[in-house]
Amino acid sequence: MPLILLPLLRFAFAFLTITFARARKLLTIISHLIDAILLSQLVLSLVRGAPELITVGGAPAGIGISLIGDQIGLTFAVLAWILSVAVSAYTWQDRLRPYFFLLLNLLIGACYALSFTVDLFNAYLLFELSTLVSFLLVGYQRQPRQIWASLHYLVLSSLGMSMFLLGIGVVYAHCGSLDLAELKTLISASAGEPWMLLAGSLLVVGIAVKAGIFIFSLWLPSAHARAMPAVSALLSGLVIKMGVVGLFRLAAVFPIDLPLIVLGAITGILGIIYALKSYDIKRLLAFHTLSQIGYILIGFGAHTDVARLGALSYEVAHGLFKALLFLTIGEAAARAGGSDLKTLIENKRDIPRGTRIALIIAVLGIIGLPPLAGFDAKAILEDGLPTTVLRLIMLLISIGTVMSFAKLTPVLLSRSTCRANRSRILSYAWLGAGIILFWPLSLLLVSPAINLHALSVPHIVEALAVIAGGGLLYALTRKKQFRLPDGIFHLEQSPLVILVGFFLVYVLIVLGG
Amino acid sequence: MAAMVALILFGLGILVLVIRRDLVIKLLALGLVNAASILFLVSIGDRPGARAPIQLPGEAAILVDPLPQALVLSAIVVNFAILALALVFVMILVERYHTTDSNRVEQEMARESDEEETPCL
Repeated sequence: MPLILLPLLRFAFAFLTITFARARKLLTIISHLIDAILLSQLVLSLVRGAPELITVGGAPAGIGISLIGDQIGLTFAVLAWILSVAVSAYTWQDRLRPYFFLLLNLLIGACYALSFTVDLFNAYLLFELSTLVSFLLVGYQRQPRQIWASLHYLVLSSLGMSMFLLGIGVVYAHCGSLDLAELKTLISASAGEPWMLLAGSLLVVGIAVKAGIFIFSLWLPSAHARAMPAVSALLSGLVIKMGVVGLFRLAAVFPIDLPLIVLGAITGILGIIYALKSYDIKRLLAFHTLSQIGYILIGFGAHTDVARLGALSYEVAHGLFKALLFLTIGEAAARAGGSDLKTLIENKRDIPRGTRIALIIAVLGIIGLPPLAGFDAKAILEDGLPTTVLRLIMLLISIGTVMSFAKLTPVLLSRSTCRANRSRILSYAWLGAGIILFWPLSLLLVSPAINLHALSVPHIVEALAVIAGGGLLYALTRKKQFRLPDGIFHLEQSPLVILVGFFLVYVLIVLGG
Repeated sequence: MAAMVALILFGLGILVLVIRRDLVIKLLALGLVNAASILFLVSIGDRPGARAPIQLPGEAAILVDPLPQALVLSAIVVNFAILALALVFVMILVERYHTTDSNRVEQEMARESDEEETPCL
């Protein structure tokens, strides 16, 4: 029952917040508390070894729409709850129109439902709902750049969803079912058949457009950089992850391990290269979202139990520190009068102290200082990787992350002359506590043996060496100039790049299957 | 047959989406792509000589598969909403930049500096 109640209650609260706009704060608190109770109930039944499974309307499995509260789904749902609390606290005193909170609740509800769904068509509708709400949230302030970013997002994701629908058609024509549990047996029986390869690549590309993978999510840098801080935090921490959960679910049915690994390596490395050259800090964070997705995909594609647990924990860790980064940089940019590095450094004294401390924690989290969130999740992931090539790729991405965040050092180290307001501090403390206490908290997800191994001396030495090496490399190469092709981020070229990406995925599935 | 038509329309839509620079035409092409995927889904449920899926008592006629038709209904609604929203976005942009050419909109936007930026509407 909680599986249905979680999304539905959010939708109910969405309409309550717009009808009773004055009781918004009370309604927000109630909705978060109810969600916490329902989620803990689901976690309890998962721990007892009997994950909740429900088929809506009592129809027989395979015909009705199934929802499942398994480990993957619950991890994503808990992340959704954590981020929704943080964003509520962040916007507590902001004067925003009631319809902002309507959209916020709809988005969270759609994310809950998406984490639990194992039906392809239900997933299609929820993807459309979550992105439709995201378009409106990106364009909330109605600045022309936001509108343009939102339109770009809309065109690409609509194209992706059409491909997803074609994939659904092909699957239904051959299997007569859209329930992933049923498809698993049907598809493993017809491994390597052309229709299956085609359906797999159509579905993967459709989701990849939303999942923040470099060659597909070309709308992401401008949309995430232009939106309001609270919106960017949700888009980057959560909405992207809904694509990732979709890919995880597909990986159980289609043989897409090889595409996941290759796409992960591509998005990881290209994202870092672009991040190194961006001096608008919000755009830098957006490129980092693209690159960090790489870790998660490589971990999941590696197909060992430990690496998959590592991918799940990295997905939570990334949600925490990327949301905190977007929130703090957003406030810093608002105080300093712009989000490009030069303005931030010139007006660094205007950044409140609480914001600066939170920003430092988030940066240390993403570059992987032991024992913060990024380090722990990365160490678990690395323990599970079967080959050295994958470890080397991960090492490269880690060093690049440190190099691109080294730019921020002058902003981090200075004095402040003002204070942030209390609700913002509360939001930072909530996410910051998650980053600092990630190691004990991850015991909920990962068994103690794996978790202790992650904290061993070689991992700590490696993480410190990566940070030192990245800092050194940045100091050596900071004067080097190079140009990167920028055209792929325009509306003219990006649909073409997606088509090229489709053929790439098709070839990879053929090779991997 | 209908499936082939759907796939051809799909490719045609993507072609127009890529080569035309006018935003309204781009959106029309996107509508074509969406409609093609819907046509494909409907064509799957088709069987030779089948009728609409309404079962009358005491009659055993060949019916088309009703599930794709039910799925398509929701997909049509979603695509309508998205296309309408996209057109509203284009209207806002046209009011500000007086052009529907995507390249020119991007150029104008790059020319404006961040300080001058004011909300539309």
